[in-house]
Amino acid sequence: MIRTEELLLNVGPQHPSTHGVFRIIVKLDGEVITEATPVMGYLHRGTEKLAEDLNYTQIIPYTDRMDYVSAMTTNYVLCHGVEKMMGLEVPERAEFMRLIVMELQRIASHLVWWGTYLLDIGAMSPFLFAFRDREIIINLFNELCGARLTYNYMRVGGVKWDAPVGWIDKVREFIPYMESKLDEYHRLVSGNEIFLARIRGVGAYDAQTAIDYGLSGANLRSTGVDWDLRKAKPYSIYNRFEFDVPLGKNGDCYDRYLIRLEEIRQSLRILKQAVEQFPSSGDVMGKVPRVIRPPAGELYVGIESPRGEIGVHIVSKGKAEPYRLKFRRPSFVNLQILPKLLVGETMTNLITILGGIDIVVGEVDC
Amino acid sequence: MKGLLKGLGVTLKSLTDKKVTTSYPDVPITMPDRYRGIQHFEPDKCIVCNQCARICPTECITLTGKANPDPEKKGKVIDTYDINFEICILCDLCTEVCPTEAIVMTGNFELASYSRDELFKDLKWLDDNNSNVRQDNNNIGAPAAAKGGAK
Amino acid sequence: MGSWLDETLTWGNALLFFLWGVILLAIVLGFVTYAIFFERKVIGWMQFRIGPNRVGPWGLLQSVADIAKLLMKEDTIPRKADRALFILAPALAYVPAFAVLAVIPYTQKLYFADINVGLLYYVALSGISTIAIVLGGWSSNNKYALLGGMRSAAQMISYEVPLVISVVGVIMMSGSLNLRTIADQQGDWFWQWNFLPQIIGFVVFVIAAVSELNRTPFDLPEAESELVAGYHVEYSGFRFAFFMLTEYVYVYAIAALTTVLFLGGWHAPFPFLDWVPGIIWFLLKFSFIVFFLFWIRATLPRIRIDQLMGLGWKVLLPVAILNVFLTAVYLELFVK
Repeated sequence: MIRTEELLLNVGPQHPSTHGVFRIIVKLDGEVITEATPVMGYLHRGTEKLAEDLNYTQIIPYTDRMDYVSAMTTNYVLCHGVEKMMGLEVPERAEFMRLIVMELQRIASHLVWWGTYLLDIGAMSPFLFAFRDREIIINLFNELCGARLTYNYMRVGGVKWDAPVGWIDKVREFIPYMESKLDEYHRLVSGNEIFLARIRGVGAYDAQTAIDYGLSGANLRSTGVDWDLRKAKPYSIYNRFEFDVPLGKNGDCYDRYLIRLEEIRQSLRILKQAVEQFPSSGDVMGKVPRVIRPPAGELYVGIESPRGEIGVHIVSKGKAEPYRLKFRRPSFVNLQILPKLLVGETMTNLITILGGIDIVVGEVDC
Repeated sequence: MKGLLKGLGVTLKSLTDKKVTTSYPDVPITMPDRYRGIQHFEPDKCIVCNQCARICPTECITLTGKANPDPEKKGKVIDTYDINFEICILCDLCTEVCPTEAIVMTGNFELASYSRDELFKDLKWLDDNNSNVRQDNNNIGAPAAAKGGAK
Repeated sequence: MGSWLDETLTWGNALLFFLWGVILLAIVLGFVTYAIFFERKVIGWMQFRIGPNRVGPWGLLQSVADIAKLLMKEDTIPRKADRALFILAPALAYVPAFAVLAVIPYTQKLYFADINVGLLYYVALSGISTIAIVLGGWSSNNKYALLGGMRSAAQMISYEVPLVISVVGVIMMSGSLNLRTIADQQGDWFWQWNFLPQIIGFVVFVIAAVSELNRTPFDLPEAESELVAGYHVEYSGFRFAFFMLTEYVYVYAIAALTTVLFLGGWHAPFPFLDWVPGIIWFLLKFSFIVFFLFWIRATLPRIRIDQLMGLGWKVLLPVAILNVFLTAVYLELFVK
């Protein structure tokens, strides 16, 4: 009899494919994983606790730093929660601005995912392709709000900046450009046999498992569950636009891949309609009391971030600071299924599956 | 096999595509006007209202005022004004609340230094940091005519 | 030039051989330096970048600077590493990589050793590098390095088999294991070169060769997104440089071997282009193969280890054997 020993391998926190400081302790039998324990918290900054000492405007820059790949949606969820609590009206133009930046952000976020995922799988060109096009969005944001990553753009009751002259036209020009680039991405990667062999059927789970684990976003929709908060519980002005929610069938990495790329196309569709209907004038900031004090009570709102349902639970005691602020971070919740998916997979599939979930460690650790 | 060849075609085509590399730092990058770079502070405009220090989410601004040396005038003038760029997140909230635009953002962003002490910028340094100052500073609460809006 | 080897060995001759060895070494080192430079340039261009351009004119000295940096770096040996093997591995990897170059003929006249089992010599020696990589992975006493080393052993052994069998067709057609004879016997027109009559063998050979080189899409031993750097994760400084050097010398060797075996060596594609010196044709074909390696590196993702094994044993090996069979049938029916 050959006696084989299990190998305890520490993947991360410093590892090129954990997308930041995330750590998984895996037990390997040869190259097959018998047990996986995710360890998180290396990027924990205590955002929720810090928020208890800050007023609502001050929390907005902190939300930038949670999901730093998609800061606009995180900005939005907090402002949206507070507005809902206080019953504030947001001007139409501001809603349009928010929607446009959120959809641009969704594209940018999926581009980062696409590039890094292919980097995980071993192709390095897609990363540069994706970042070249993301750069255009980032520059648009830079022009709009003066930052390239941590925008701090939204405010309770509106947005900080109106679009600069010519900005909307730049967005309009970007849409057909991105559509053509999306086709290029498909040509470069999607048909590649090696790529398909790598991700087809990997990390598959069924709809019930996905719901049991509380997954959301592409991770849930890849199993065929039609749940997109933009459609299911419309917020902002999403109900005015036509778009489809791409769904998968098999719940594997390949479906998640296709869904994310298709979501880029759908976002472009929304953007196309939004820039056409963009109101020609109007305020971007509603009437907001000088000090923002939501009435005592509790409220939860969730919106669809590129990664899934991002939610904020505000407990207010009627003060300028929240009594308790809890973020439902999709990366964190989606990560729960990881140990289950990894058992019986190889070391190589660990990277494929982890990448397929699409986590941002800033959001996981918050 | 077809997919592989298609992909090879894309990379071959991009061999001659336009390159996107910039020549930074040989050619400095000009940021758009709204860019939130290192703050510029004008002591003459400051009325020591302390709003910037209060709104700062990271509490990186410390300031002290002193009585106006001109006995005719009331109010205070600024004495010291320090921003700790180790913790400043350039969130723009200080310039947003400043009633006199004494503190404004600039397009400068190069903060790297060999020592942490150098990141502690005082009034004089911030006053001298007066290039690329942002023109359009704050449009929340500003009168509608002053807004540089689209269309 | 090769005829010198037949002369009696004198001190003068030995010195001459040694000098030629040194010249080849210098050429190979120059190739490696600029292969790395052009790899970075080509991949950069394919990714909308301009590649290295800071050191020297057009960045031409970038690789030189990198090598100088590697040589000056601290040589770290992990405390728990198997010291002797750890030191031995990089050298052991490099020596066969350089030694196989002896049998490559560049033109009719320009060659080093004229061995009548040249091809066998090449394959046999290149197998030694596998041992070095396993040794490097094992002696580092690092789990990632171990996984990389083990993968490499499995991969290189699996792909050596189809690699050898895929060239059997060529050997049968030319009736010789001598690389000079093989190159010489390919016809004057480009469709008479081995890559068309031996198209199955050629495809299998290219796939297996890329795998032997541990390059994308078969770069599993060093798969940086999974194993960080694989077998050489603990190596630094010039020991690491040796592993890199080995990889690129094998690129040189495989590109030259493919040219000789399948692309007609120094022959011009059309007889009326014969006035162009053979070495130019050789270099052109050689550069094309090197470019092809860079090109697929810029495009393809990495294959998985189980798929790699499946491809090697279930696809390439049967196809290669089929190719031998078909060649035999063809030779029996039409040539004899």
